[in-house]
Amino acid sequence: MSGAKGRGPARAGGGYGRPAGARGGFETYSWFFMRISGLFLIFMALYHLVWWNLIVGVEHLSADLVRERWTNPFWRLFNVGLATFAMLHGLNGLRYSIEDYVRRPGARLAVKMVAYTVVLAALAWAVFALLTFDPAVPRAAA
Amino acid sequence: MAPHSVRGIWTALRYRGREGMWSWILHRATGLGILAFLIVHVLDTAVVIYWPDFYDHTLDLYRTPFFRVAELLIFFAVLYHAVNGLRIVVQDFWPAVMRHQRQLVWAVAGIVGVAMLPIAWIMLAPMLGLAEEPGGERHRARAGTRVEAPAAAPRARPSAPPAPAVVPPLPEARP
Repeated sequence: MSGAKGRGPARAGGGYGRPAGARGGFETYSWFFMRISGLFLIFMALYHLVWWNLIVGVEHLSADLVRERWTNPFWRLFNVGLATFAMLHGLNGLRYSIEDYVRRPGARLAVKMVAYTVVLAALAWAVFALLTFDPAVPRAAA
Repeated sequence: MAPHSVRGIWTALRYRGREGMWSWILHRATGLGILAFLIVHVLDTAVVIYWPDFYDHTLDLYRTPFFRVAELLIFFAVLYHAVNGLRIVVQDFWPAVMRHQRQLVWAVAGIVGVAMLPIAWIMLAPMLGLAEEPGGERHRARAGTRVEAPAAAPRARPSAPPAPAVVPPLPEARP
């Protein structure tokens, strides 16, 4: 594991332990972010799944139904928060995986660049779409 | 690269990490799976704004049996990742429970397994004709309020075929 830079020996204890003697620094903030965003996501993501899969049902889902939901700015902001927490939590988890499996420094950098670009572009697209959505514009003209 | 990867897989298969190892593998696999789905889901859902007809078209795809099973797998992945993640957070901030970490892994498996039974029923039974689609009652109630029909009048289910139009008979002879 000596070749794996980044998190270093902090991962030796199974991957979830706090680095011994660590004070601040990016990896400590990353560790806290995973736990705080994770706690938010437990409620937000499970609510999202229960609402759309069990209460609304895929059979009754339609573009009109989603647009009606998004006329309320609260739900647009909820989705911005859900997408942001989920994407950043997922991207950091993907970073852990890349650092575990891609050992060569050049390849690791290349894979990370692709991963960051794809995930952050998807997040930017989601946030842009939600924040610029205008319920007053009718569906046909959109 | 290749020798490293091959050795990694063989080491993993021989390694007997018991509950902790399998929960770690499942946590990572569900996490990466959710991220892959999330990217597609976000790109797909945003077309509700820009191309709603295409969104409605993709929904027809999501109602097929293959995607219904996939949706249930996503539900399982999120639920497992959530409950197992909660276990990790509890263990991190309350190290005393590490004495019972094996039992906690089994508790996570039990909670997720029991919760998945009704969820699987709700999401898959309609496909087999064993139960109504989830949200059917809510859907009919909303459709009723939009039409503004009298509340007492019995309403036809949306899935029922439309009543045949009454064609007035032509007069047999004209003056």
